[in-house]
Amino acid sequence: MSISMKRAQAIFVKDYKEFSRNYGISIILIFPIILAVLFRSAGASLPGAFGLVLNGSFVTLTCLAQACLIAEEKERNTLRSLMMTPATTMDVLIGKSALVFVMSATVLAISTYLFGYELANIWAFVAVMFLSIILYIAAGTICGLFSKTLLEASLSIMPVAIVFTGAPGGALLVKDYPIFKVLDYMPSSQLVHLLNIRHIGYTTGDLLKPLLVILAWTVVLTIVAVGLYQRRLKDE
Amino acid sequence: MQFQPVYDDGELFLPKIELNMTGNQSIGIITDLKRKQLLLNQLPDRSQYYIFRAGQNEYMRLTVEELITFLIKVTERNERADLLMDYFALKEERKVQIKDLSSSRRMYVTLLRVFFAHQPALVLEEPYFYLEEQDRRHLKRILDDLSKEKQILILTSNLEDALISCDAIYRLNESGFLQLDIRDSEEDKQEVQEQDRANITLQKIYTKRNDKVILFNPPEIDFIESVDGSILVHVDGENYDCALTLTELEQRLLNFGFFRCHRSYLVNLQKVREIITWTKNSYSLRLNTGKDAVVPLSRSKLHELKALLNL
Repeated sequence: MSISMKRAQAIFVKDYKEFSRNYGISIILIFPIILAVLFRSAGASLPGAFGLVLNGSFVTLTCLAQACLIAEEKERNTLRSLMMTPATTMDVLIGKSALVFVMSATVLAISTYLFGYELANIWAFVAVMFLSIILYIAAGTICGLFSKTLLEASLSIMPVAIVFTGAPGGALLVKDYPIFKVLDYMPSSQLVHLLNIRHIGYTTGDLLKPLLVILAWTVVLTIVAVGLYQRRLKDE
Repeated sequence: MQFQPVYDDGELFLPKIELNMTGNQSIGIITDLKRKQLLLNQLPDRSQYYIFRAGQNEYMRLTVEELITFLIKVTERNERADLLMDYFALKEERKVQIKDLSSSRRMYVTLLRVFFAHQPALVLEEPYFYLEEQDRRHLKRILDDLSKEKQILILTSNLEDALISCDAIYRLNESGFLQLDIRDSEEDKQEVQEQDRANITLQKIYTKRNDKVILFNPPEIDFIESVDGSILVHVDGENYDCALTLTELEQRLLNFGFFRCHRSYLVNLQKVREIITWTKNSYSLRLNTGKDAVVPLSRSKLHELKALLNL
């Protein structure tokens, strides 16, 4: 399958204009910033606060934006029309994902700065953010593919919010329900572990384990999203 | 272009259709909603057919110029947006967002997607339905230009829409797939016979429908058409078979104000409301009946008609 940067760029620019003029949707850009400011004061007393801010932001910004971009095209039948142009599946997905990636990275950088989080290892942090954003874009793509309208898309991220953002909280109940031990392997729980690593006394192994788990999630979800996208568009 | 037969409840719903699509020709099929969908569903090949469905919508928040630029880039054409905007007659709406256009204009802009198609065949569902007169003219011009290189198939439920830009028109309904005769042939000479003036006042038109014989008074009739050799008398949106030929009917009905406006159409002039000029060489007559009916008017007959109406 050929990938053309020119076509992907055209889709990126088009989506950027559409997204920025749709105030009902583009307001989600400020949610992570509001979350960061709200939890900032609780930072000291609540050890997992920054993890909560990030996990919440990934769902409300990255996942929702991607789901909306795809669902809106489906709602207006423009995706079907796009499929009849030379633009390939990957052109469309790369164009859209790149836009969501840039928006998420910028907004999350701002909210990290506002929260005042002290980085234990900057490269590990950048890597984990990079992987997580891709992971939630893939999740958003899946949500968008299962919804026919914008309204459905905003509801379809609810399961993602519960499963992913809720996982670190659920993992705390592991003493009562041993089954919740699996929640510890959710990418959101692993992100919290990584963020809790303090400046002194960590080993490379401590950093590597969460990163590898999140990498595995990212690869699997991306493959599922691309595969599903191609299958869904066949019967459009 | 080939379509496989479709059966519904054991009855043939869609006959097998083979269209000989040569370049430089656009074909129209007049049919109903369900048959339209069945036809469209048989064209899944995205590399062969560009399908424009009636439900197509547009990116509402882009301006017209941004949309055209996007379509140029995504289809990797080497045209310049401002030249195309001139060609599309959209210069004035350059900076207007699609959602702020009038509904006819918005549909017109949406329809421009077919211009950018790379497929050799374009299939359009009801392209003219939501357009106003002016946008219809622009679209007709663009489709005429496109048909020089591509095959165009228009699916519509309205004869008038098909008449605008199709070279060959077929009607697909429960009685099958028939070509309508819309050719403009001036060399067609009809023998004019002496007519029996004594009978004129007693003329009733003898028709048959479902084995019943129905007699119509000439003023009731809207128009009469010849489809594939059989004569259909249209009265109030319904049609009835008639055993006479069009030439015989013309002679009988001449004194009731009927006019042979086309080789295969005879129209009741009392019911004509409007003469529509599509281009210099193509005309139709719109009738003043309950249902919106349009019949074609030959170029050669236009002068005759004008003389008759003292225009």
